[in-house]
Amino acid sequence: MNLKDEIRNFVVENFLFGDAGGLTDDSSFIREGIVDSTGILQLVAYLQERYQVAVADEELIPENLDSVQRVADFVEGKRSGAPCAGSEG
Amino acid sequence: MELQMVHRFLESSAATRPDKVALVHDGERVTYRQLNRSASRLAGFLVQRGVLPGDRIAILLSNGVKYVASYYGVLKAGAVAVPLNVETGQATLGRLLDELQPAGIILEQGAGHLLQQLHQAPPSVRFLVAVDASFTRSEPRLVWGWEEALMAEELTEGTGRLSPEALASIIYTSGSTGKPKGVMLSHRNIVSNTRSITQYLCLTENDIQMVVLPFFYVMGKSLLNTHISVGGTVVINNNFAYTASVIRQMAEEGVTGFSGVPSTYAYLLHRSPLASFRDRLPSLRYCTQAGGHMPREIKERLLQVLPPHTKLFIMYGATEAAARLTYVEPERLQEKLGSIGRAIPGVTVRVLDAQGEELSDGECGELVASGPNIMIGYWNDPEATARVLDGNGYHTGDLGYRDADGYLYVTGRKDHLLKVGGHRIDPQEIEEVLMSSGSLLEVVVLGLDDPLLGKKLVALAVPLGGNPSDRTLLSFCHARLPRHKVPGEIRLVAALPKYPSGKIDRSSCLSLCG
Repeated sequence: MNLKDEIRNFVVENFLFGDAGGLTDDSSFIREGIVDSTGILQLVAYLQERYQVAVADEELIPENLDSVQRVADFVEGKRSGAPCAGSEG
Repeated sequence: MELQMVHRFLESSAATRPDKVALVHDGERVTYRQLNRSASRLAGFLVQRGVLPGDRIAILLSNGVKYVASYYGVLKAGAVAVPLNVETGQATLGRLLDELQPAGIILEQGAGHLLQQLHQAPPSVRFLVAVDASFTRSEPRLVWGWEEALMAEELTEGTGRLSPEALASIIYTSGSTGKPKGVMLSHRNIVSNTRSITQYLCLTENDIQMVVLPFFYVMGKSLLNTHISVGGTVVINNNFAYTASVIRQMAEEGVTGFSGVPSTYAYLLHRSPLASFRDRLPSLRYCTQAGGHMPREIKERLLQVLPPHTKLFIMYGATEAAARLTYVEPERLQEKLGSIGRAIPGVTVRVLDAQGEELSDGECGELVASGPNIMIGYWNDPEATARVLDGNGYHTGDLGYRDADGYLYVTGRKDHLLKVGGHRIDPQEIEEVLMSSGSLLEVVVLGLDDPLLGKKLVALAVPLGGNPSDRTLLSFCHARLPRHKVPGEIRLVAALPKYPSGKIDRSSCLSLCG
């Protein structure tokens, strides 16, 4: 399973109770009411543990985390050492 | 004559500062002139649709410019603004609309299931304004777009004569104790409370408020009215989950005030760049907290992390009080850290016993409030109204006492008291102890049915990180609480269910326990 599928699965299992209906790669987690602030903390904790990446407080912005695609890009960027949005602090 | 109607706040600020920015949202900056014009046009549209004074208009919009224009537009038309949570489930929404019998509904795409279920809307609904939907025109005409509605001629200010006692808004409580109740607030209720708040916060046109709380929640409504009344600016950010985006915008916009409920601050302290932005928030004059008891530990940490010039106002209120009842002056906060403060200007809060007699300092009873901000009653529910309103005022359901300096303390809620064995226990005290361990983000203590004890104490706790063992937490409690107050069990969970306001939803927590 690739990174994006894993993230999608995490979101579906933890926030949509297994019902992926309507969730696209670009669905906004917040605007579409998929994840709330507690959920974002859970998602970040998952990313840190599963992919061994550090997520700084400054990086908690929608550009990095507000859709399956954005999260996948964010984690990929972290793994490849590319600078992420918000990382300048 | 002093301004007495809620929408006059907007009209008055638009007259004196037409080009001042009233709202900032997602890159959009709206002046008072623009906002007032949109509201007057919407009012004109509503009157064209036959809306009469006292008619209810449901507003199902998330925080944004259209919400604000709708809110004031409905009031200008003499109608009653009923803001509802956009995420209200279909069944609950159906029930609320049935009891409200609204003349019209203003809604956004998120509430689109309503558009598909038009046949289920009560017959009182004569029109819908779909603010962002594209749809085909149907006859007879029922659905209107936002732009279309705003093509109406502006309703002339001062049209129609409403009394300040007229119903202005119905705001639903979160329903933490049974089904949600519609709190009826008059223009006078809201105007008087708005004035008290602007007075003690010393708000001026230079104030810029960051709003992350929903406007359909009474505290969000209050942030809006207070800032519009002084001609200040409201910055709307619906992305609180991404705390860095909020803190960064506060710095960029030179925000002077921030407001939250306890969980807002717990999150900011746990996972946000608040501390690293300490030097970049020179304008942040104050933060306010209401919406329930905030543990002492969070207050102390907040005082350490906030910029040194930022004052922290701890406040207390209720939807039934149009928002605010008491506050602690920041100058006395350290000394009165566990207190909810003293009554705000124009309001009286007394501690009464079950017979309605006032108690002496230090004696515990129910907090009962009176003043021009106290609601008219609950919509269509005279029995529930009679249970909380009487000659003494509004019975808050909160238990507490007053100290020798006149400061009030809430010890818990009447309906949260748990009978464990022969003891009556208030979960707030136990929650406070658990939070003081410093290892939890949040916690709730509940009573599960128990054949032996009546109720058994169970704590649901969200750890901050690492993983404190339940045994460590239990021994922490043992060292600080009498045995009968130590929870029988502590369950560590990833999150606690909450209402959209951020308040903890105790009944959903209870269902989590199975």
